[in-house]
Amino acid sequence: MSYEPKIVGFLCNWCSYTGADLAGTSRIHYAPNVRIIRVMCCGRMDPTFVIKALHDGADGVLICGCHPGDCHYSEGNYKMMRRYPLLKKMLADYGIDEARVRLEWVSASEGQRFADLASDMAQRLRELGPSPVQVAQATDMAER
Amino acid sequence: MEERKIGVYVCNCGTNIAKMVDCDGVCEHAAQQPGVVLAKSYKYMCSNPGQEMIIEDIKEQGLDRVVVAACSPRMHEPTFRKALQTAGISPYFLEMANIREQCSWVHDGGEAATEKARALTLGAIRRVQYHQPLERRSVNMCPNVLVIGGGFVGMTAALELADGGSQVYLVERQRNLGGNVARVDLTAPYLDSARDMVTALITRTMEHPNIFVFLNSEVGSLEGYVGNFRAVVDTVWGDQATSNEYEVGNVVVATGYKEFDASRVTHYGYGKLPNVITSFEFEKMLRAGRVETKEGKTPNYAAIIHCVGSRNREFHTYCSRVCCMTALKYAHELKSAVPSCYVSDLYVDMHAFGKGHEDFYRRGSEAKTLFLMYAKGDHPVIRKAEPKDGCEMLIEVNEKLSREVIEIPADLVILMVGMEARDDSDAVARLVNISRDKDGWFIESHPKLDPVATTTDGIYIAGACAAPKDIPDSVAQARAAAARILARTIRGTIDIDAVFAEVDEDKCCGCRICNGLCPYSAIEFNEEKKRSNVISALCKACGACVAACPSSAITARHFTDEQIFAQIEGVLA
Repeated sequence: MSYEPKIVGFLCNWCSYTGADLAGTSRIHYAPNVRIIRVMCCGRMDPTFVIKALHDGADGVLICGCHPGDCHYSEGNYKMMRRYPLLKKMLADYGIDEARVRLEWVSASEGQRFADLASDMAQRLRELGPSPVQVAQATDMAER
Repeated sequence: MEERKIGVYVCNCGTNIAKMVDCDGVCEHAAQQPGVVLAKSYKYMCSNPGQEMIIEDIKEQGLDRVVVAACSPRMHEPTFRKALQTAGISPYFLEMANIREQCSWVHDGGEAATEKARALTLGAIRRVQYHQPLERRSVNMCPNVLVIGGGFVGMTAALELADGGSQVYLVERQRNLGGNVARVDLTAPYLDSARDMVTALITRTMEHPNIFVFLNSEVGSLEGYVGNFRAVVDTVWGDQATSNEYEVGNVVVATGYKEFDASRVTHYGYGKLPNVITSFEFEKMLRAGRVETKEGKTPNYAAIIHCVGSRNREFHTYCSRVCCMTALKYAHELKSAVPSCYVSDLYVDMHAFGKGHEDFYRRGSEAKTLFLMYAKGDHPVIRKAEPKDGCEMLIEVNEKLSREVIEIPADLVILMVGMEARDDSDAVARLVNISRDKDGWFIESHPKLDPVATTTDGIYIAGACAAPKDIPDSVAQARAAAARILARTIRGTIDIDAVFAEVDEDKCCGCRICNGLCPYSAIEFNEEKKRSNVISALCKACGACVAACPSSAITARHFTDEQIFAQIEGVLA
């Protein structure tokens, strides 16, 4: 079977999760690689969630929140926006391609946008191949 | 951790899920997971028998955690929480896996959809083991209501609410109340005067002691949550701009529609042929009591063309619902204004679905209106007539029933323009945080079971802002939204989930990083203990402080690190 990346999606409850639901009610088809986890706000995103996901077998992580200015909690998305570059920098140090972790804004009415993002990210990761974390873990196992 | 007794229920949702996902396969996979004592699939979990099944299993098998793999938790989480409560366990011992909106509806069938459903269900199974009981928290339900839009629907809702004792802030962008209905002459099918109806509504609205009418105004911002919103209303009068903030518990969005711009359809010559007019332009003539051509002549021949901008791929695929009956009304009004006028009605399908509509159609046929059917996509063609033709224009129509190409004369052509979402519907949707469909209409919480509520608690939609609708349907929605709000207001309080952040004093190092992060100033610093503390009543549970705490001293109830970690493990296992 051809390689299919696994993506963990962290979606804020108010905008993005609703947007993903809207993709469903509108029957907009997209790549099935994303497994969605609901958080109240992308400001809740602890960088360890991303690291944990990559460690546990995710080839990519998609974080979605409300558009800047539209956060249900006023400014949670700005907090994530500030954490994100630091997280990326750290992941880069570990040799993780920056395409593997994405922060995007999806409003409650952007079902199509969410679907496009999910498909686009799946395609990008297919091209990149399995995450180096998975490769390293597999080699590690083999050596033991 | 102590061993849990988890029950897993996989909903088929008729065929909505079962068509794409092997529900029995998901069950079998779930049944093998540690802690899972039973896994069942059922046709409709949300139905009474479905809920009964959960309740019985909890009681008989002693389940202490429940996973329902079904629709979005935004849809039925309250339903299943109630079932758990009925069975005598904490409603928060539930976790839903969204295998409909986020799986079966968006993926093709086959292994990929089933595999994803298994993963999402496993994520829920792992997560639910860490669920803790939470108390419900009672907060005040502010009885005031914000109504956005001062048309027929907004006023009807406002009056119903105001009569019920609510203070209503009715915000209208225009200088006058009335909206689109105020532009209409008579209404179909009973030919009541729209003007009389609107005038009566406006008078009552303006005079009602519980309604504050804001004209020339817009809602600048809306913040907060159900029962406790803060709305800023911006008003501009001449060069004077004012801005005021009001507390409201609920919001009715009644922003209506705009008419389709006929100039987008090039083949009817609107804007080029002076006597091709839109339905609203014809209403204006009727209200002025003068049916005549641009040249001031009485028309001998009039033609009405249906479905302009509606029911075609190029513009809008949907039916605008009101145009067919409005067209029949025009035929009637033309005949009464100019009895000698020959009226032709060019339609695609005659949609006479409402009460009294079919009779109205029959009366129209008997009154010698010439009905000509054209096929979708095979639209009539209008051209300017020669002087010898004795009329202004000639319309060529490929008549579907007789299969003949017929040419009819016309001095006046009325285009039945459809309804479309307003240009700023996106801005309104973002203002109140609701969704729009592909055509820009606002989306209801459930199209059949919950048509005036939205996915944002406390925000209601009524009338044509949700889809094309006639006056009776819109009024019914306005009153329905008002009734929903009044029913909640009567209680005076509303129970919300007691999800808030908590600081573990033993872990807190007193760094105060969280203090400045909280958008609600809900974190105080105890100088004596040198520890931070969350004021639970102010906390809205966004979790920003939880993610930022360097000592992991803050817990987000119901969204704890261990719950999310377990879910990550589950979806990736």
